[in-house]
Amino acid sequence: MRWSPIFLLFVFWMTLGLSAKEGEHWAFIAPQRHAQPAVKQKGWPKNAIDHFILAELEAANLQPSTEADKITLLRRVHLDLIGLPPTPTEVKAFLANKRPDAYERVVDQLLASPRYGERWGRHWLDAARYADSDGYSHDAPRIMWQYRDWVIRAINDDLPFDQFVIEQLAGDMLPDATAAQRIATGFHRNTQINTEGGVDREQFRIDSIFDRIATTGEVLFGLTFGCAQCHDHKYDPIKQVEYYQMFAYYNQVDEPRREIPTAADLNAQKAHEQKITALTDKVNNAEQGSDARKKLEAELAQLKKKRPRATTALVMMQRSSPRMTHRFIQGNFTRPAEEVKPGVPSILHSFPEAESANRLDFARWVTSRNNPLMARVTVNRMWLHYFGKGIVETENDFGTQGSAPSHPALLDWLATEFMRAQWSRKALHRLMVTSATYRQSSKRRTDLTETDPYNKLLGRQSRLRLDAEIVRDNALAASGLLNTKMGGPGVFPPQPPGCMNLGQHRRNWTASKGEDRYRRAVYTYRWRATPHPALKVFDAPDAFASCTRRIRSNTPLQALTLLNDPAFFEIAQGLAERILKEGDKADKARIALGFRLCLAREPDTRELTVLESFLNKQRQLYAGMDAVALTPVVQRAHGGQAVAETQRSEQAAWTMLARVLLNLDETITRE
Amino acid sequence: MMHDLQETTRRHFFSRCGMGLGSIALGSMMSDQAQANPFAPKHPHFKPRAKNVIYLFMGGGPSQLELFDWKPELSKRHGQDIPESFIKGKRFAFMNSSFKKANKLLGPTRQFERHGQSGIWVSDLFPHIASITDEISVVKSCKTELFNHAPAKLFMNTGTGLFGRPSMGSWVTYGLGSESQSLPGFVVLQSGSRGPRGGAVNWASGFLPTTFQGVPLRGSGDPILNLASPKGVSAQSQRDSLDALKALNLKRLMETGDEEIRTRIASYEMSYQMQSSAPELIDISGETQATLELYGAKPGQASFANNCLLARRLVERGTRFVQLYHTNWDHHGGPGETLTKDLEKVTHDVDQGCAALIRDLKSRGLLDDTLVIWGGEFGRTPMSEARKTPGRNHHIDAFSMWFAGGGVKPGNVVGETDEFGFDSVGRECHVHDLHATILHLLGMDHEQLTFRFQGRDFRLTDVAGHVIEPLLA
Repeated sequence: MRWSPIFLLFVFWMTLGLSAKEGEHWAFIAPQRHAQPAVKQKGWPKNAIDHFILAELEAANLQPSTEADKITLLRRVHLDLIGLPPTPTEVKAFLANKRPDAYERVVDQLLASPRYGERWGRHWLDAARYADSDGYSHDAPRIMWQYRDWVIRAINDDLPFDQFVIEQLAGDMLPDATAAQRIATGFHRNTQINTEGGVDREQFRIDSIFDRIATTGEVLFGLTFGCAQCHDHKYDPIKQVEYYQMFAYYNQVDEPRREIPTAADLNAQKAHEQKITALTDKVNNAEQGSDARKKLEAELAQLKKKRPRATTALVMMQRSSPRMTHRFIQGNFTRPAEEVKPGVPSILHSFPEAESANRLDFARWVTSRNNPLMARVTVNRMWLHYFGKGIVETENDFGTQGSAPSHPALLDWLATEFMRAQWSRKALHRLMVTSATYRQSSKRRTDLTETDPYNKLLGRQSRLRLDAEIVRDNALAASGLLNTKMGGPGVFPPQPPGCMNLGQHRRNWTASKGEDRYRRAVYTYRWRATPHPALKVFDAPDAFASCTRRIRSNTPLQALTLLNDPAFFEIAQGLAERILKEGDKADKARIALGFRLCLAREPDTRELTVLESFLNKQRQLYAGMDAVALTPVVQRAHGGQAVAETQRSEQAAWTMLARVLLNLDETITRE
Repeated sequence: MMHDLQETTRRHFFSRCGMGLGSIALGSMMSDQAQANPFAPKHPHFKPRAKNVIYLFMGGGPSQLELFDWKPELSKRHGQDIPESFIKGKRFAFMNSSFKKANKLLGPTRQFERHGQSGIWVSDLFPHIASITDEISVVKSCKTELFNHAPAKLFMNTGTGLFGRPSMGSWVTYGLGSESQSLPGFVVLQSGSRGPRGGAVNWASGFLPTTFQGVPLRGSGDPILNLASPKGVSAQSQRDSLDALKALNLKRLMETGDEEIRTRIASYEMSYQMQSSAPELIDISGETQATLELYGAKPGQASFANNCLLARRLVERGTRFVQLYHTNWDHHGGPGETLTKDLEKVTHDVDQGCAALIRDLKSRGLLDDTLVIWGGEFGRTPMSEARKTPGRNHHIDAFSMWFAGGGVKPGNVVGETDEFGFDSVGRECHVHDLHATILHLLGMDHEQLTFRFQGRDFRLTDVAGHVIEPLLA
């Protein structure tokens, strides 16, 4: 094995990293582009990533795992990139495609799909603590969906990440700011708003700035700025006064709600103006003083009052009269100490004009290529979604209390590559998912379990339970019910009655009908106090604070949701309808279709046996049941076709089978 | 084969979960920790005085001055200005410039008497609670930091006014697991005119795994969300489905070697157990007439009294932490918030159930193992508010709570207040101290029960908290 001396030195230095003196912590030094380490198995690497991974595996005398079978790989990359499974047709085409770059072509297609922005937009919306309500006790509804749509569009357009961030931190201050750039500033308007009686508004204005700083720190620096709110950071070189220097940039913000017309709004307004013009002409043509004219004039006056309002958005605006900023003793806003000028932590890259700078300058400083952290933190988070944990496992804490990177040179290489690719996220995704490392099988290996129980060296892939939204989207796609309409106000898929009673106010939840009932979960209306239970139970964050990594829990409430929740049962009914409609007559063929729809693969003999025997038992159970009693089992609450009485027991048995398929661990797992 | 799986599963759980809390905190960083059965009972740090908690949360802020904190001096000074020294530098909700002028001292509006051997003062609003004073410890010097309902409730439940932190019940079940494998470890019951302010965040698991979030038992519909099988799906069909799922999941487990599938199988089995155990739990019709009368509970009628009885049934069945919410205790004066009719109603709603719970737990030998907590998010001011009828504002510097059962000194009073009931005197019991004490009674050191998040080892008690020794038996 040959190691470059510089790399060895780097590794040595890295091992000292945690005990390094303050200011020398690895994360505060700009990433270096290290040469790719040499490896023995020269045939294995597919790109640079694999050199870094394989070198470590070889050093530990471990073999990488074999490539996952084609179907597993196809399903994995579909779920990871677009959050939807491959269709049976796509699977067939992929298996038949013998081109050496068949996989890479799939990756390119997926990255070009609008579904990609919906999948990766959701990850960013977690970090942006996006919700459709105000939070705190009243949790009043708010109109914020234009921000959600902006995120999805920006990601689909592969807006360079630095620009993506600048527009969100200070889009309003860009020269000739566009409507989209103003909407982007909603990022920091996703804070909660307390509308409870008797509150001190200043207290909650300041709390939202605290939240903005904490979010900026975690999301863009991987640093816990929030720790310096009350005192100098205990572990990282961030002083309390520096915290309030950053506070100063956000302290000059007004927080209005603005009408920002969508295309539809503009059309409606244009149509309205045309109506006014037409009516005005009529008025002018009518005889002066006539009754007819008076009537028309009244009509016109009424019409003018009814100008369609445009959709609003919460945005940031720079204040005209600056506020003074003070350090708060123990972070308590009632205890202001000395005045503080704008500035940034001295441990970070330099910002000579900091004191006279404004929020836009601050945003440019954050996204500067000299920032040692933003690129690293961002690529690390992408990595986390592909491998279950980041190269730095504490993905929101790169400070001295965070965990050391498992592959520091790789992290730096990816960070520099991200900048070299002009901050293109699609380029980085492509790099990661086409690596041999990503393509490995996720099967456990005894040798790895013994020497590397936490799979830090990545000698295999991981099985990962799907994210809450994808659990639903995947089931919808399998059943054929999924509607792929993009954007617009939040929608209301069904939820069990009574879930909205838990907040202080009983908010309404009338289940959407028609296409909105089966939209992707990224478009589900997000109440903070009463989140949709099926999302909550699968660990979707509640948006009270930025969430940069979700927990993956595994609970009986999840089982109850997938088994019994009316929305999921409706999907099972839809899947049964589809299997009966599209499958061949034989049970085996129909079961196989169900497998292909839910798992992308064919069942084996044992699986067929289990399900055939299950199916026959259900047939017996349901054959004895009255046709009326069978209705709720086979009839979708919305949109399904009426099932003939003679067909009901058969369809009920298939509904039960579809429900089993949708509940399989494998169905809700990307392998 | 199925039997084998259950055996392996059980062995697997116990081998992985016999670890102490230190390693749990460490293990929380590691995704493979998820392999262990998260519901299994765990060992506390030291020998506990209590195993379970029933927390009777009085949402809105009960007036200590009308219930437990008898202030004859306040009565004498009724209608006078509060001395400047008391309110200087303090902040209140609904504060404005006319505050002091308009807010004169308001004497206690109820009659007080000493009760029991302990001679604890209780007002005439609580005749039943007055009869159990020798079982309880009243803490008169509670202090909190936040004076708006939702943040203050969060503070009492999570140790901070910020949304998104784990609640006490989540911390406790995270630390101790649950004795029940067929019911959730942390259950929430609600009664009163509306849900508590802030809603589900009061029993949220915050950054802890959702496994530990409170599960609300619902007053209508399924007692647990999605508990009932879909209409037309029989128990047999449900069992068949679970068997098929188990067979196929087990096969996948063998093929992939992913232990997470074992937890999934266990979760499905527990969900099936809950389908029968939860309806059995909420069906109180099998309780004796004497028990129903003791509580004033009526089968099929949702009430605080029914919830108290359910709380006993829950701890009997191994649930670790039961929290009851009853609203509305917000007596500012004015319509719906009077210190007369409205306070009388809400005290009447809870009085009998609270006392019955203590008696019932005691007679069944459960009180020794169960810590009962009674209190709201803050108290109320000695001054009146300038509203149509007299009422009291939110007050954070002194309010009363009471404790009973596992490890609590019976017939006891902790702390005092000044002559107006404005400030705590003697042993001040800050919310963090209450939390430290509750964890202590459960056998946990509040400084060791931690979870790493955002680069910090978080605790229920933040960076504060001292065990309140005078409260302990």
